[in-house]
Amino acid sequence: MAILEVQNIRKSFGSTQVLDGISFSMEKGDVLSVIGSSGSGKTTLLRCLNFLEKPDSGIIRVNGETLLDASSGASESSRSIRLKRLHFGLVFQSFNLFPQYTALQNVMLAEKLLAGEQPDWKKRKAERIREIEEHARNLLADMGLQDRMNNYPHQLSGGQCQRVAIARALALNPDILCFDEPTSALDPELTGEVLRVIRGLADRSTTMIIVTHEMAFARDVASHVLFMDNGVICEEGTPEEVFNHPKQERTRQFLSHYSD
Amino acid sequence: MSFADQLPIVLSSLNTGFLQTFRLFVITLAGALPLGLLLAMAEMSHLRGLRAIIKTLVWIVRGSPLMIQLLIIFYFPGLVFKTPLWSSGESGRFAAASVAFIINYACYFCEIFRGGIQGIPVGQDEAGLVLGMKPLQIFFRVKLLQVVKAILPPMSNEIITLIKDTSLARIIALQEIIWAGQSFLKGSQGISGAIWPLFFTGIYYLAATGILTLLFSRAEKKLSYFR
Repeated sequence: MAILEVQNIRKSFGSTQVLDGISFSMEKGDVLSVIGSSGSGKTTLLRCLNFLEKPDSGIIRVNGETLLDASSGASESSRSIRLKRLHFGLVFQSFNLFPQYTALQNVMLAEKLLAGEQPDWKKRKAERIREIEEHARNLLADMGLQDRMNNYPHQLSGGQCQRVAIARALALNPDILCFDEPTSALDPELTGEVLRVIRGLADRSTTMIIVTHEMAFARDVASHVLFMDNGVICEEGTPEEVFNHPKQERTRQFLSHYSD
Repeated sequence: MSFADQLPIVLSSLNTGFLQTFRLFVITLAGALPLGLLLAMAEMSHLRGLRAIIKTLVWIVRGSPLMIQLLIIFYFPGLVFKTPLWSSGESGRFAAASVAFIINYACYFCEIFRGGIQGIPVGQDEAGLVLGMKPLQIFFRVKLLQVVKAILPPMSNEIITLIKDTSLARIIALQEIIWAGQSFLKGSQGISGAIWPLFFTGIYYLAATGILTLLFSRAEKKLSYFR
């Protein structure tokens, strides 16, 4: 069964149709690269998956469970939306770390708050916090940040901040981890360390959707590539198909900008 | 009466006056800080009507002198409705002054809070949301400290102004420190025509604002660990 099924997502802002019927599906462990020019709807697609935008129509299913059916019209409680979000993680272009917390506290905060909603929290508080901290430390060590755990975001480089943000998103064990241009805010010399980390996640079969302008990386890390243009999926296929043998003229045109 | 004889009399009077000044200062803060936050929330609500009401209130309160507001709040109920809202004597004057100051300062605080809250990048909200946090958790655990840090400088301005503004309550004869100092000009407790007690009141204000300045710079330093 597909881990993610997206059917016919449409979204407009005012009179601008940003997503015009997006459908695709992914299997567990797939890495999906989404490429396309600015304004093609890539970011809006990720924001819809993370319930930061509400699609006008369409269906989102994770592991067979319908998280969103925009046509059903039933308004949902904020709690149910909140829990549905947890199927997805999102890493932002601008990191959005919490500045007043250390790297470790950034990673721990959400898991601690969620644990606080469990009925056994009061009884097992000390033990649970130890577990959550252990978990966070392991994630940060995985990101190569073992000696940066107690630093505040402003004391870290952009690449380190983005790796903290990835650890923070992983802390809640999302089914699908989404990246919104994770290296676009970084100096060229810092993009490498972030891309290596994402590549490491791919090697461990983390299911990911990566919106990126790093074409070489998109091609290299992906099991599947979507090329979006004007709110529709213009072309999709394996990296080999899309990058080496694009069928659409628009795809060829787009890729030609990156050919050097 | 020699200066040495006058001094303890004057100081005791000024102390009593300053206590009233300080009480008005504290009660205004205690009332206006939460009320200002509430007004700021209302001003950012989705309800257009509510926003319009708050904006009008803020315009009227910030647009007219605090002294007029004091006079109206103190005299209006008794003169127009013939039912005095405030009890007679110092306690009634203090209650009226407190209400006027709380409303006035809440409107200034409201705008400072709103600016501080709206100045936090929307990415902080979104990061909290995708991590499954509730809106209140995002406000209290993520944004509040950043807001506090951002509004400390304008707040220190307002709060230092407040300690001096309390002297406006003199207009409804609240027995604060200026009232106490001035009483020796006209004559009180055997001392009259003395200007120096008024100069002494200045020392109280300088001391109070000096302490506030220190507290604020300490708070700013304390929050300088993040950016």
